[in-house]
Amino acid sequence: MHKREILLGLLLLVIVLLGYILPYTVFTNVAKWYGSFLVWTVLALIVIGINYFLTRNWGDDQ
Amino acid sequence: MSPLLVWGMIIIYVIFAILLAFLSKNGKQNSMVGYFLGDRKLNGFVSALSYSATTYSAFMLVGLAGLTYNGGVGAYGFEIIYFMGVSLVAIFGPRFWVVGKKYGYVTPSEMLGDRYQSKLVAIVIAVSSCLFLIPYSAVQLTGIGYLLQGVTGGAISYTTGVIIATLLALLFTFIAGIRSVAWTDSLQALIMIVTSIIVVILIINGLGGLTGFFDQLQSNQPESLTVPGNGFFNFWTFLGLTIPWFFFSISNPQVSQRLYMPESLKSLRHMLMGFLIFGFIYTIVSVVWGFSASILYPDLENADLATPMLLSSDLVPPILGVIVMVGIMAAAISTIDSILLTLASMFSRDVVGNLTKQSTDKKQLTIGKLVIPIIAILAFLFAQLQLDLIAVLSVASSAGLIVSVPAIIGAFFWKKGSAIAVILSVSVSSIVVILLEFFKLVPFGLKSGIWGLLLSTSIFIIVSFMSKAPIHKAEEFLEYIKVTLSKSKA
Repeated sequence: MHKREILLGLLLLVIVLLGYILPYTVFTNVAKWYGSFLVWTVLALIVIGINYFLTRNWGDDQ
Repeated sequence: MSPLLVWGMIIIYVIFAILLAFLSKNGKQNSMVGYFLGDRKLNGFVSALSYSATTYSAFMLVGLAGLTYNGGVGAYGFEIIYFMGVSLVAIFGPRFWVVGKKYGYVTPSEMLGDRYQSKLVAIVIAVSSCLFLIPYSAVQLTGIGYLLQGVTGGAISYTTGVIIATLLALLFTFIAGIRSVAWTDSLQALIMIVTSIIVVILIINGLGGLTGFFDQLQSNQPESLTVPGNGFFNFWTFLGLTIPWFFFSISNPQVSQRLYMPESLKSLRHMLMGFLIFGFIYTIVSVVWGFSASILYPDLENADLATPMLLSSDLVPPILGVIVMVGIMAAAISTIDSILLTLASMFSRDVVGNLTKQSTDKKQLTIGKLVIPIIAILAFLFAQLQLDLIAVLSVASSAGLIVSVPAIIGAFFWKKGSAIAVILSVSVSSIVVILLEFFKLVPFGLKSGIWGLLLSTSIFIIVSFMSKAPIHKAEEFLEYIKVTLSKSKA
């Protein structure tokens, strides 16, 4: 695996873990739109970004 | 909704879809790769839409909306965790793709059989996929039946709905194999994303804009904006639901087979990025529907009625409601027809192909085409019988398919994995998952999917250490991936 792939993969893992941890701890009593709803939305957008960078160099060849 | 309007819209949809299916014919579908993989020549745009349509069954807009209605924002989190799991495509996608091309794999189970150098591996994985996915298709059919019956007040009966869906799924597979399926999928996905967004805009407007929407949630049902909230999504339930779905993109063959189809790595990239954008929007749409229904109709007895109620409400023009309704039917069909093709290819190539001598590509294709209607009829009959066991297998499908995940990860990242370890881990863990679901057992509060993953991982690792791995094949396989990917990603 490329170094970049490993780094982005680890970052992805951290984001997934945050998706479990944050809503059930810090935000468990925040009954607002900027509570868990926003947390998951932001995490999802970060995941889209990570995928963008993971796949940026996939070529046209073959 | 007026039955006449529903029928009219179904007919219009069918005409357009059939037209598109015929237009999609390109090249010959007289080989396994041609019929089941579209000659590995799908472009990024169609791949992305078709991948989305296959992944998101009818129950996204019905089931996820219902789950939000019942459990609040936890349903959103559940779907977002699944969505994050699709990133596995960024890791496994190019690997599937290069070996698929190099060794000519048609099915994921064929790949595992070759990688672990064992026909029995391919057979066991193919059979366990059929075991879980046929009931899953049956339940999709059941859903369409109830939905059409429900919104037309019984004017379109349950059986009529199920028959329409079965016939259409069969028709779309027969016209040009995966090509016609992919193109009709794309039509469905495009219609749904556009119309469902319009519905969201109309509803949010009707509820006083975004501020009004969230104000009402915050003041009337604040618990719906947190987890565990009303208790529906306690942490262990959340974990048990999300773990199997996190691995969906590699554990479910009807989507992992898609990784062989794009014409280039660039198309594969477009498929992934396109899906992520589509999936993100679609997830928010479904969740907003569920929340809106809980504001408008707080006392529904059955949460699955959230979507039908919303579509029949005054906020949505009837014609739009009917288009979305037919779109939901089409969504179920787009999931079923892909499953039909995948299972047929697995059965003919991995089961029959490995059990008979002199199985040529042509013979496999003939068998595959014969098997498609048989699987469809089985799903139809299951849908009619409405057996408890079918429902159990369907619910267990995401948990049941997860048991092949250690073998899939091992194929690409661990040279020591052995064939006997795969066979034992998949078969034993599948049976355990079925037993847990059937007897409704939740040992230590953990759901069957978590047990399935833990058990299959342990068996895979322990037995691999005790047996002989196909080291030569593993090295060749992994070396080829390494060299090819470093070249193409340079």
